[in-house]
Amino acid sequence: MWKGLSVITDSPSPIVVVLSGSMEPAFQRGDLLLLWNRNLYSETNVGEIVVYNVKDKDIPIVHRVVRKFGTGPDAQLLTKGDNNLSDDTELYARGQDYLVRKDIIGSVVGFIPFVGYVTIMLSEHPWLKTVMLGIMGLVVVLQRE
Amino acid sequence: MYSSLVRLQNVFGLFTTVAFVVAALIAASDFITPRAPTVGTLKTTNVQVVNGRPHYYSSKKEEYAIIKFSLDADLSSLFTWNTKQVFVYVTAEWPSSLSSSSSSATKGGLNTTAENQAVIWDSIITAPSSDHLANIGPAAMKKLRKSAAGKSIDPSRGKLTLKNQRPKYQITYPSGKIAETDNVVLRLHYNVQPWVGILTWNQDRDFGSWKQLQGGLSKAFTLPATKKKATAAGGAKS
Repeated sequence: MWKGLSVITDSPSPIVVVLSGSMEPAFQRGDLLLLWNRNLYSETNVGEIVVYNVKDKDIPIVHRVVRKFGTGPDAQLLTKGDNNLSDDTELYARGQDYLVRKDIIGSVVGFIPFVGYVTIMLSEHPWLKTVMLGIMGLVVVLQRE
Repeated sequence: MYSSLVRLQNVFGLFTTVAFVVAALIAASDFITPRAPTVGTLKTTNVQVVNGRPHYYSSKKEEYAIIKFSLDADLSSLFTWNTKQVFVYVTAEWPSSLSSSSSSATKGGLNTTAENQAVIWDSIITAPSSDHLANIGPAAMKKLRKSAAGKSIDPSRGKLTLKNQRPKYQITYPSGKIAETDNVVLRLHYNVQPWVGILTWNQDRDFGSWKQLQGGLSKAFTLPATKKKATAAGGAKS
């Protein structure tokens, strides 16, 4: 299922959970975003909300493209969070001023609120994982009757 | 086997199914709501190019274009019960200086991808249902809430009137040179963010009951030469 979606959308992770509030009020923490990484009709343009990876950083970032210089795969893109005052130059790798198309792992096309909050809860409160595992174990034991 | 656990599982399963179906219906309802956004005027009022630095601790000198503009637009039909916010932005677009100076890329209006695009101004218009999420001060928040008290949808928020608006972003080019650029146009865009469903942008052709954005393109203009700051220049000479 995941691999299939990955192939269809051409994105390494077609569904992402928003982790920060830098795109509020559009996206809040825990919202689920559906990504699309193919340029069928037009190139990735200014105004699109893209998810990108910065070199040497693991966390994908969801921000809006605000500037684009040039066309094609070498176009220089600058992003900014709607809720941030300044653009993302400081978030990029050292010496990197712009993104290029291959840094981007997808543009946001669909939106489902809150659903992803479970994953945030699980990663921020590790004890919840234990509790859930415990409940599952209990269920298994109880159903064996 | 009707243990309470199985019942609980069934109830939870039904809940998620129903929630997803309702969400899908809400998302689908967007498509049958007509949209007819129009832009009355979009024109530049004052264009300057000044020298500046990218940030305080930089010694690099760059040219920044400051484009003031007037805008009169009616986007009220974009506000429906599923609208969380509308992101409105104005871009400056210009063809690459390397290509021939013919203005075919920007004149037609059909060609949506100019080679260079930069947002000079943007605004988040929240729907009354998402006012509490807006990142504004308490006084402004009170005013905003009051403006739509008792209303869940407030289409009047889509009516924009800006007179001689200062740009939020001073734009430059990676080379640092932007003065005397030809064939620059301003274009208005919007992005509708739903509570659930697909994100939509302005279209350049009709799509079902969604009409294309009427207008929204300014006349082509040329950025002026760099304006020397009178005081700085005077100080340097003396």
